[in-house]
Amino acid sequence: MKGVEVTVEQVSRAYGSFKALDDVSVQIKKGEFFSLLGPSGCGKTTLLRIIAGFDYPDTGTVEFDGKNILPLPPDKRQSNTVFQTYALFPHLTVYENVAFPLRLRRVEKNELDRKVREYVHLVQLDEHIDKKPSMLSGGQKQRVAIARALINEPSVLLLDEPLSALDAKLRQNLLIELDVIHDKVGITFIYVTHDQSEALSVSDRIAVMNKGKILQIGTPYEIYEAPATRFVAQFIGESNIFPCTVLSCEPHEGEYMLKVDVPSLGGVVSVTDYDPLEIGSEVDFTVRPEKVRITSTPPRTMHKELNLYKGVVDEPVYSGFQSKFYIRLDNEEKSIVKVFKQHTTFLDEGPEIDWRDTVYVSWTATDGYLVKETNR
Amino acid sequence: MKKVLKPREREQLLGTVYAFPMGIWFTLFFTIPLGIIVLYSFLKRGLYGGVEWQFTFDAYAQMFNPSFAKVVVRTLWISIVSTLGCILIAIPCGYAMAKSKYQTFLLFLIIIPFWTNSLIRIYAWISILSTEGFVNTILIKLGILTEGVQLIYNNGAVVLVLIYMYLPFAILPLFTTIDKFDFALLDAARDLGATKLESIVKVMFPNIKSGLSTAFIFTFIPIFGAYTVPLLVGGKDSTMIGNIIVDQVSKTRNWPLASAFSMVLTFISLVGVFWMLYTGKREQQQSKKTTQQSLEQNVRKHHLPRGGK
Amino acid sequence: MNAHRYNKQSKLSFSFSMLYLTIIFLFIPLFVVVFFSFNSSKGMQWNHASLIWYKTLIFESPSLWAAFKNSLIIALTSSVTATFLGTLAAIGIKWYRFKGRSYITTISYLPMVLPEVIIGISMLIFFSAVKVRLGMFTIFAAHTTFNLPFVFMMVSARLDEFDYSTVEAARDLGANESQTLTKVIIPTIIPGVLSGFLMCITMSLEDFVITFFVSGPGSGTLPLYVYSMIRYGVSPVINALTFVMILGTMVIAFTFRKFLKTVAASS
Repeated sequence: MKGVEVTVEQVSRAYGSFKALDDVSVQIKKGEFFSLLGPSGCGKTTLLRIIAGFDYPDTGTVEFDGKNILPLPPDKRQSNTVFQTYALFPHLTVYENVAFPLRLRRVEKNELDRKVREYVHLVQLDEHIDKKPSMLSGGQKQRVAIARALINEPSVLLLDEPLSALDAKLRQNLLIELDVIHDKVGITFIYVTHDQSEALSVSDRIAVMNKGKILQIGTPYEIYEAPATRFVAQFIGESNIFPCTVLSCEPHEGEYMLKVDVPSLGGVVSVTDYDPLEIGSEVDFTVRPEKVRITSTPPRTMHKELNLYKGVVDEPVYSGFQSKFYIRLDNEEKSIVKVFKQHTTFLDEGPEIDWRDTVYVSWTATDGYLVKETNR
Repeated sequence: MKKVLKPREREQLLGTVYAFPMGIWFTLFFTIPLGIIVLYSFLKRGLYGGVEWQFTFDAYAQMFNPSFAKVVVRTLWISIVSTLGCILIAIPCGYAMAKSKYQTFLLFLIIIPFWTNSLIRIYAWISILSTEGFVNTILIKLGILTEGVQLIYNNGAVVLVLIYMYLPFAILPLFTTIDKFDFALLDAARDLGATKLESIVKVMFPNIKSGLSTAFIFTFIPIFGAYTVPLLVGGKDSTMIGNIIVDQVSKTRNWPLASAFSMVLTFISLVGVFWMLYTGKREQQQSKKTTQQSLEQNVRKHHLPRGGK
Repeated sequence: MNAHRYNKQSKLSFSFSMLYLTIIFLFIPLFVVVFFSFNSSKGMQWNHASLIWYKTLIFESPSLWAAFKNSLIIALTSSVTATFLGTLAAIGIKWYRFKGRSYITTISYLPMVLPEVIIGISMLIFFSAVKVRLGMFTIFAAHTTFNLPFVFMMVSARLDEFDYSTVEAARDLGANESQTLTKVIIPTIIPGVLSGFLMCITMSLEDFVITFFVSGPGSGTLPLYVYSMIRYGVSPVINALTFVMILGTMVIAFTFRKFLKTVAASS
């Protein structure tokens, strides 16, 4: 496997009184597609720029395969960067942009030509090879930037929100292409983004960041299904989140079955979890809107651990392939539960649900999840 | 391997290498000469030019001599009248240019006379206004006059030629700011019930303040320090501060007095410049982004995409 | 916004009438002078068309041409120096934080806003204080000083549009500091540098007041020559010279028409 292992150890960086990075440690495996995900100002770009050599940490180390690289300037590191603003040289053609690193290394002419064409082909820009950047579309510019960053055969490719200036459709296509390129070149990719769907769809692993700290590192599945903190649960996808207190905890089919008191839902909720929790601990109960079932009549299956609530549709939001409903529960708290419903018609579906209809929302114990860190 | 510099040290080194040659040049040929003037203005006049090393306020006291005071007052009113004239003409011009489809061509037309040698332009007015000049010749030909009238060598001619010379200095900054102004705001004002004049005065003027102050300063300062125009088209009673300074240096050889008058000019110019910078800065602050965004900008420095997310 | 511009153009509004009148006002004196440069007699009485003053200008004015040669030498040397120093400083100040940065920034704008008389007098007194003989060198130094702010400002304006990522990209791809400067930064900002240089040439050829103070015997420039002639009234050779100079200005302005907006924004 090509690529290197990138180890970031206890890195901190402050701009004046603003802590951009606060004691951040992360280990990125060889050849991994690793994403740094978080809202703007969370420190993800600062971390990337430190790895690239454009910024310097106040404390901490960064290692490539166990070798400290902090003393090296950007041009001496085995990493190359794809910039958010493309950073193409406006006075050079596509060919010359891609050839730039080779010309600096005085690569022999035929070899240079062969390699440039190979990498321009890799990003499918063969027919635009003699154009200036100003004649290219945003997507094409970013492809040039990718080819230019790859031609030095780096061990790590650093991508700083490379798709954020592009429109949604193009973003999807280029993302898939990026994934294909990653498979082809097999080096470590570190991808910075504020877009959770980008990160979820291509990453091997993701680090979710906020306020200069890494909150959780895990596979997209882990991050989505088992958010470690309240922030992660809210930032990735949508969630119904309610504070709760653990009432009981018993082993159940290799996991644990817990009863928790959720005041906002007006009582006790059953939920399963991988780990046991101490009775009386204050945590957050979450359930993803797409896991909540919505029906106009009470569901017929009387599942033992089914959590069932009656409510009124407060606000239906139609968005094509699915609808989102805000359900105001019929209890003292009048809490709102968000529900996604796919627009597929099955025989057992009841009449269409509309504004002000009385409905039933339900989910099983395994659909819920308990978030242990509620203040991060 | 070369010693690796931390970014801080690297910035210090590179900044020094890039910017210090110019900094040294300015220190040598601008800061020090200006410093000498400051110093000389507090020294005693030398017998045959130059100065004697004796601290005194003599030079400043001399400025209150009635004949000099008169010149200062005259300089002020001539400068104010000419500057206001320039700006009053420049506002509609800048507005029309900003709205025109032919901006480059119009800029071209404004810049041609502006780039033509200033002496040549003064000379053109001399040949128009003098007793045997163009205007008199035509008037005599038409039978309106029997003999040439002295149209030149008076304060009126000074104001006219000053306006002519410095008009582009007022038009260009006004054009630039009005060009950036969003004309849809005027439509919005009209839509909300303002008349055309009201919408311009109440909506456009507050938004082009920086252009107005720049135009004012860029015309007022050079006019206030004018030397050639009063010398060449002015009469005996048209002397301005600029002329006094030159006379004190080259004829009377009273360097401290020339320095003191230079200090007055410098002081007034600087006050004007800081006022201009202040209005410009305030306008920028009004369009400042939210704290969140500026925080992001602080971190990313130059990395925000144009137009933002 | 464009649609807006169209419908307002159709009728002759107050502002457009003012603009056209102003342009006429700006050009009339020049036209009068140019017109009489083709007059065969000396005064403002039209006699008949003739190129006699152009002949005098070209063949019988050796001291004018000597002054012009001085002007050219000064303009070229001071513009090259100012462009070189100003461009480097603009790059340094735009991208690096270092000690003395705010001093240099402030000082680089001041010569542009102070009245010319002040610059001229202060340099005259400075040169006589340090006992430098007035001549070509002192004119060169003075011109470089008043040209520098313009280069600095125009290159800075160009750098403002420059994406710093491009510099980081060059470094990232293996370029060292000087390669980044010559292969990426300079090629990108060259339009700003050129328009700054051009501005310098124009300003230098144009300047009278400052040159007047710092020139010595034998170092007179063209504006000084013009001054010595017009002090004593109308001269038809100057009429002819005016036309030649206006043509020159037009050629320069036309060549650089793309940058006119930058020029407008900076002056």
